[in-house]
Amino acid sequence: MRTFRVLCHTLGPVLCLAAGLTFAAPVKIGLVETLSGPQASSGLAFRTGVRYAVDRMNAEGGWNGESIQLLEYDNQGGPAGAADKLKAAIADGVQVIVQGASSAVAGQLTEDIRKYNLRNPGKEVIFINVGAEAIDLTGDKCHFYHFRFTGNAQVRVKALVLGMKQSNAIGTRVYSINQNYSWGQDVEKAIVEYAPLGGYQVVEKTLHDVNKIQDFAPYVAKVDAAKADTVLTGNWSNDLLLLMKATKAAGLKDRFGTVFLDQPGNLANAGDLAIGHFVAHTFNPEVGGVEGERFVADYKAKTGHIPVFVEPQAAFGLAMVGDALKRVKPEGGVLNTTTLAKALESTKINTPVGEWSVRASDHQALLPIVVSVVSKDAKFKVDDTDMGFKPVKVFSATEAATPPEASCKMQRPN
Amino acid sequence: MDTLVVSLLNGVIYGLLLFMVSAGLTLVFGMMGVLNFAHASFYMLGAYFAYALQGTLGFWAALLVSTLIVGAVGVIVERFVLRRVHHHGHAHELLLTFGLSVVIAELVKLFFGNYPVNYRVPKSLDFAAFAIGTSEYPFYRLLMGGVAIAMFMLIYLLLTRTRVGIVVRSAIYRPRMAEALGHNVPLVFMGVFGVGAALAGLAGAVAGAFYTTNPNMAIELGVVVFVVVVIGGLGSLEGAMLASLLIGVITSLAVGVDASLADLLGLVGARSWAEHAGGLLTLKLSSLAGTIPFALMLLILLVRPSGLLGGKA
Repeated sequence: MRTFRVLCHTLGPVLCLAAGLTFAAPVKIGLVETLSGPQASSGLAFRTGVRYAVDRMNAEGGWNGESIQLLEYDNQGGPAGAADKLKAAIADGVQVIVQGASSAVAGQLTEDIRKYNLRNPGKEVIFINVGAEAIDLTGDKCHFYHFRFTGNAQVRVKALVLGMKQSNAIGTRVYSINQNYSWGQDVEKAIVEYAPLGGYQVVEKTLHDVNKIQDFAPYVAKVDAAKADTVLTGNWSNDLLLLMKATKAAGLKDRFGTVFLDQPGNLANAGDLAIGHFVAHTFNPEVGGVEGERFVADYKAKTGHIPVFVEPQAAFGLAMVGDALKRVKPEGGVLNTTTLAKALESTKINTPVGEWSVRASDHQALLPIVVSVVSKDAKFKVDDTDMGFKPVKVFSATEAATPPEASCKMQRPN
Repeated sequence: MDTLVVSLLNGVIYGLLLFMVSAGLTLVFGMMGVLNFAHASFYMLGAYFAYALQGTLGFWAALLVSTLIVGAVGVIVERFVLRRVHHHGHAHELLLTFGLSVVIAELVKLFFGNYPVNYRVPKSLDFAAFAIGTSEYPFYRLLMGGVAIAMFMLIYLLLTRTRVGIVVRSAIYRPRMAEALGHNVPLVFMGVFGVGAALAGLAGAVAGAFYTTNPNMAIELGVVVFVVVVIGGLGSLEGAMLASLLIGVITSLAVGVDASLADLLGLVGARSWAEHAGGLLTLKLSSLAGTIPFALMLLILLVRPSGLLGGKA
């Protein structure tokens, strides 16, 4: 804006009057994601989902007669990089920040954005969190301009436990093994909390280093010693694969309840040993009937593959934003993000698996969760294997919801 | 008791795997005085080559061929890349190998994608060797351990019992003198670099099937391998063996120990205070298993900077 005013002084009033009439900034959405480095695979998956959703918004006419721009910033996997790129994005005029991979990065972004908004009233930036599931993002750290369009540790574990129980797969002795950081600790807490609900006993809890362990055999020896029926874990990527492989190698028959088993490559790498394991995810192409098939077909046509892993939640999250934007009128040609945030609070969309909405008190999305089991009967096979995820139970948003954190004290704008 | 036996066996075999990768690294360090950052990348290349070849050649042949290919890659890297910057000093070599590791990682992603690939233990080898208590012990782990031991014996005998070994050892410790005596030291360097890379490649080809073959495997293992080499003593093959086993066994046993500092303080009646204070005092040892090697490295650097069996200060 400042450069614009300087230009006005130098170029004369006539030009500026003309410019002022047509000066309507396109809405810029900034994706601050891990696009390179070791953890790039999940960042790139989020990007695919977000790109798909933004393309759709533009196909439906964009906002205020202009296309919505998607700018991509590589946070290089860490909070420090994310903080830098956030500044760059704001300088580029981005009003909506999107991020998903890593709760650590989301923690940095949400705090930086909260402070920026305090210092720059009238120019607030919205943070759309499409994948970071640590509880404190909608607890201690919650604020008016943060929206979480994914589940969280409690939502996932509750659905997983109920779904497995209804399939008579949870048993009575559960072993909890998780990564030792905010997300893993939250999952462990939730596993203990839902023990009465699932009718099981947590025989042992283990936290381990994140992405540092090559050999899970010692942990499996512990699982064996604890005589567990089921292993519940929030582990992702290699920590999940290696754990499952080590369990199979030791000849244990434990069933796994997981959150991230649907990451591409997992089933291919695990092979037949994955059969019978459970996952609680936000979408399964097999549910949702005709509507679901249309979404899957359209997604495949645009991106080359069916929506998997975190892609659906990124696409649905951004669809929420698109829906809210339709109801926000431009003020002086530009988008008022406070109005957008208020519109988001009352946004409801129908996804193929059910209705998505936002809880106003902590800005946690209320979303349906699908519990699926790895099976050869699944309709959609993944990773070029003969296996896929067969849905066993769909929990509607109300069934899946867990109470908001008491620690969330949200300050609302007047 | 069963658990202890299984833990020890697990630890020893994981240690042997670490040794397979660190053997080449420590030899190359002894030779060039430079830590090869790209060494773990050779481990990754071994796994990916074996994965790519197993379809056409079968598992065993793929193992052999991928080892040879990685060895050849090592030779090429030494001859045409490292040797060019050798006279610029160690810093350049170090930076070069670091850059190389990034390039290899990105190339692997380019050809094989971001996610783990479908490289698994062949069905014919996927059975239990024996059972201890209720848990079975996979045959493939024993195979990995066997390959590592065979490799150690072979290199050890080669280095200590043959003429080639004498030349190599002299070229490593006194390159100028060896050269003055008429030995082709650059050729020896190239050979050792190639063999070191091939060993890492073999380790990758064997372990990639058991663990996972993914673009991060170099980073994940690479750090631990450095720790092994530092603890064992830079340039010492026996040291690398000792340190590998030590790290393997200690981490494996630590996983089974759920005690914390608070338990220790409980012996003097300060448990409730410790539990109230929280933080480090209530952290279970088992949750730190992956960090123990690094603590061990710090300790070694403090009391014996040359490593357990390191000759050079």
